[in-house]
Amino acid sequence: MPSLVLDITTTAAILYVVALGLLLIFGVMKIINFAHGAFLTVGGYSAVVTTGLGLDPWLSLPLAAAAGVLLGMVVERLIVRPLYDRPLDAILATWGLGIILGQVITLVFGREVQFAGSPVQGTTEILGAPYSQYRLLLVGLALALGFAVAGVLQGTRLGLATRAVIANEDLARGLGINSGMVRFATFSLGSGLACLAGALITPLSSVDPNMGVPWLVNAFMLVILAGASLLSLMAATVLLGGAQVLVSTYGNPVLGGLTIAVLAAVILRIRPQGFARD
Amino acid sequence: MNSRMILGAAMAAALLAAGAPALAQDPIKIGIPIGLSGANSVVAPSVVQSAELAVEEINAKGGILGRKVVLEIADDASGAAGAQKAFDSLAFQKKVDVIITMETSAARNAGLPIVARGRVPYIYTSFYEGRSCSPYLFVNAWVPDQQVAPIVDHFMKEKGAKTFYLVGSDYAFGRGMLEFTRKYIQEKGGTVVGEEYQPMDATDWTATISKIRSANPNAIITSTAGGAPNVTLTKQLRGAGIQSLYGNLAVDEGTAKSMGADGAGIYISASYLTNIDTPKNKEFLAAMQRKFGSDLKTPNDLSVPQYEGIYLYQAAVEKAGGTDSRKVLAALPEVSFEGPRGRIQMSKQHHTPLTMYLGQVKQDGTVGIVASFPNLDPGQQCPNLK
Repeated sequence: MPSLVLDITTTAAILYVVALGLLLIFGVMKIINFAHGAFLTVGGYSAVVTTGLGLDPWLSLPLAAAAGVLLGMVVERLIVRPLYDRPLDAILATWGLGIILGQVITLVFGREVQFAGSPVQGTTEILGAPYSQYRLLLVGLALALGFAVAGVLQGTRLGLATRAVIANEDLARGLGINSGMVRFATFSLGSGLACLAGALITPLSSVDPNMGVPWLVNAFMLVILAGASLLSLMAATVLLGGAQVLVSTYGNPVLGGLTIAVLAAVILRIRPQGFARD
Repeated sequence: MNSRMILGAAMAAALLAAGAPALAQDPIKIGIPIGLSGANSVVAPSVVQSAELAVEEINAKGGILGRKVVLEIADDASGAAGAQKAFDSLAFQKKVDVIITMETSAARNAGLPIVARGRVPYIYTSFYEGRSCSPYLFVNAWVPDQQVAPIVDHFMKEKGAKTFYLVGSDYAFGRGMLEFTRKYIQEKGGTVVGEEYQPMDATDWTATISKIRSANPNAIITSTAGGAPNVTLTKQLRGAGIQSLYGNLAVDEGTAKSMGADGAGIYISASYLTNIDTPKNKEFLAAMQRKFGSDLKTPNDLSVPQYEGIYLYQAAVEKAGGTDSRKVLAALPEVSFEGPRGRIQMSKQHHTPLTMYLGQVKQDGTVGIVASFPNLDPGQQCPNLK
């Protein structure tokens, strides 16, 4: 029983970290970045490269984040900004970008499955049984990231401008806020978070050119449910992540993989705003 | 005869003369549909290297019946959909003379109807769950009847294990192996306290691990797809601190090495281990080292049968006097080859008796031999094929 609680908590933390970047981009730009899965993969390969070079696995986190921010800046400027008036086309463009990124990764790294080292190994005794230290660490990191993003949003001028744009972009521009700058910053930050998430989930399993795709669907569902609120995202990940763990444990892991998508569809049918408060 | 007819006859004779050696130079094509991507991608490079060495050695000695041997490699993505494409392209576009490869059971089962349609002999060089039968299919690797007993007997007799938890990938191999294992354990008086399956490409074993934790078995026996699933499952098992005896029916030495410290203590049962102490094996390893140097992928139980499979095909073609499928298929059960694993002859219902080794993975990733079991019979795999 205690290990079940830990499983739910750690799974929710992993989902939170993966969905956070997507949420920011969705909230500000009202588009779903379908290249999110590819960014996760880029982050995973950053971790492979870092540990492959013999560097401390902890370094793979800031390096992945930096790679993500740079990639995000380029993508926003070249692909997303020209399609500012055409959000549906922008979504299509990000899907195409995801495919291209996947192929580039295949060309550079090859198609085979690879592995990255873990910053933390082993188990600790918690609630009477050994549990993976790395998974526990992820809970802490997820909370820290959530607080950091909340801190930026609540405590900085850029954060203030971002919240204004999230609320009503036209009104914000009317008040003199440079929404182009906000979009640029948000997309870059969201991409950085996506790559960071990719590097964080790699030690648990493995890396291959398509590793991001299964996460994309779940992240997409969670973000649609959560709207633009970090708190709603936390609620969504705990609830749906918990459901996934319960179904996998007491039912069938194959059904567990479907749980998030199915539950999200049901909740949206009942309450179309999802967990958002308005 | 006027001069035109003489000219025509001379040209025809010249063409025939030019044509005849050209036909003899037609290379023999060996098709290799293999998992360059997907679950098997961790192992595929080592299999390709074995094939390349075999072909290089054969060509250096003049090829097969004077013809050069050439490899055609295609990616089957470790699964059924990819295998259909790969087999179609090899059998019907590249028109290969034979398919010799290691694949997941899903890929093999998808390819069998295609080799039957194309009448291409198929030498399957991967260990598998057994009972796959086709007049076109020959297997030179182990089946559960040869592989499971060493591990289970060792666990029950030497380590006193009574309760077992079985974990596998959800496809023919995972289910077939564990079904055999479950029956064997129950026959010997043990109990199976749980049996769990995950899709072949699954990377999250959290639910399985928490069930193992609550069942607390003496021993865990796993049979996942070769390659990535072995590594992720082991990493996560070790990450959760599970200390039961661990027997892995589907890991090869190369993959065990890439697990690092997590792999230590795992028991494996294999027909090939790098420290088999025979002159043939030492020769083979030296030749691989010379050819590939620092790029060498550890030869293992999934790659060495590939080397031997190509030599078996050579023997069959020489006995049959050509690459005609029917003659080659008739010759395959009758030819044998002395390779790194000993004497291989696919005479038992298209399968071969093998010597099996029980090994344990050490801290440095190498495998120490615990016991060996000579000449184990593959059992009744295909009673309808003589």
